[in-house]
Amino acid sequence: MPPANGSFMVAAYVAAAVIYLGYAAWLYWRSRGR
Amino acid sequence: MTTIPSAERSLRRSGLWMAIALVLMAGVYVRALAFTPEEATQGLVQKIFYIHAPSAWVAFLAFGIVGVTSALYLFLKDPRLDLFAASAAEVGTVFTTTVLVTGPIWGKEIWGAWWTWDARLTLTLFLWFIYLAYLVLRTAVEEPGRRARYSAVLGILGALLVPFIHVSVYLFRTLHPMPVVLRPGRPELPGSMLVTLLSSFAVFTVFFIALLARRYAWARLVDARAQGEAERADASR
Repeated sequence: MPPANGSFMVAAYVAAAVIYLGYAAWLYWRSRGR
Repeated sequence: MTTIPSAERSLRRSGLWMAIALVLMAGVYVRALAFTPEEATQGLVQKIFYIHAPSAWVAFLAFGIVGVTSALYLFLKDPRLDLFAASAAEVGTVFTTTVLVTGPIWGKEIWGAWWTWDARLTLTLFLWFIYLAYLVLRTAVEEPGRRARYSAVLGILGALLVPFIHVSVYLFRTLHPMPVVLRPGRPELPGSMLVTLLSSFAVFTVFFIALLARRYAWARLVDARAQGEAERADASR
């Protein structure tokens, strides 16, 4: 199999960053206000 | 019993931990993407490994904590154990979501399919469903004692899946690769890739601890305020 291109790698890293940053931001702001 | 000032102090401290953990996470991204060699067979897409496997490790750690603290709750009836289990379950579900999103992206490129009903993938999806149900259950039952008891039972049952998922690649014919680090014998990776993977495991664990500390501090604060309100309502009667 030829080496795969990087777009799937980028998609996975972006998806993980969105999930983690999204949750961390939600948790931070939500708990700050309570 | 938790007091409001002590819960507020924990909440403030956890903010600092979250900031440190996010900087470390950024470091993992830079190390994995820019300073780790490309794997010869799969190419760049193999680098998904450095976020997929540590996310799975943290998810298992989180649900292991849910299982242990839930079992302890059933014996000791300490509400802090219930709050800790619930916090670990929520954070664990977030990490499992990442596992279930990054895995198919990797699979599409390497296996040619987004999903396959393979034992490990299917069990991980069921694990995610169980903890979604756990979180929904907590919002549905209002009486704290009953909510904690029901949640503890479901939390323990979900945690029982974790060791089963880990050994599923040995028990069944599966497309999913075998473990490369948490396996009998020595890790099966070249040095620089192993350093990236192990530092990623460590940083993801720190990130998990920071999120868990925040979630637990918040849960304690909400609980302490609810107790304060209940006591005031009783006193005014």
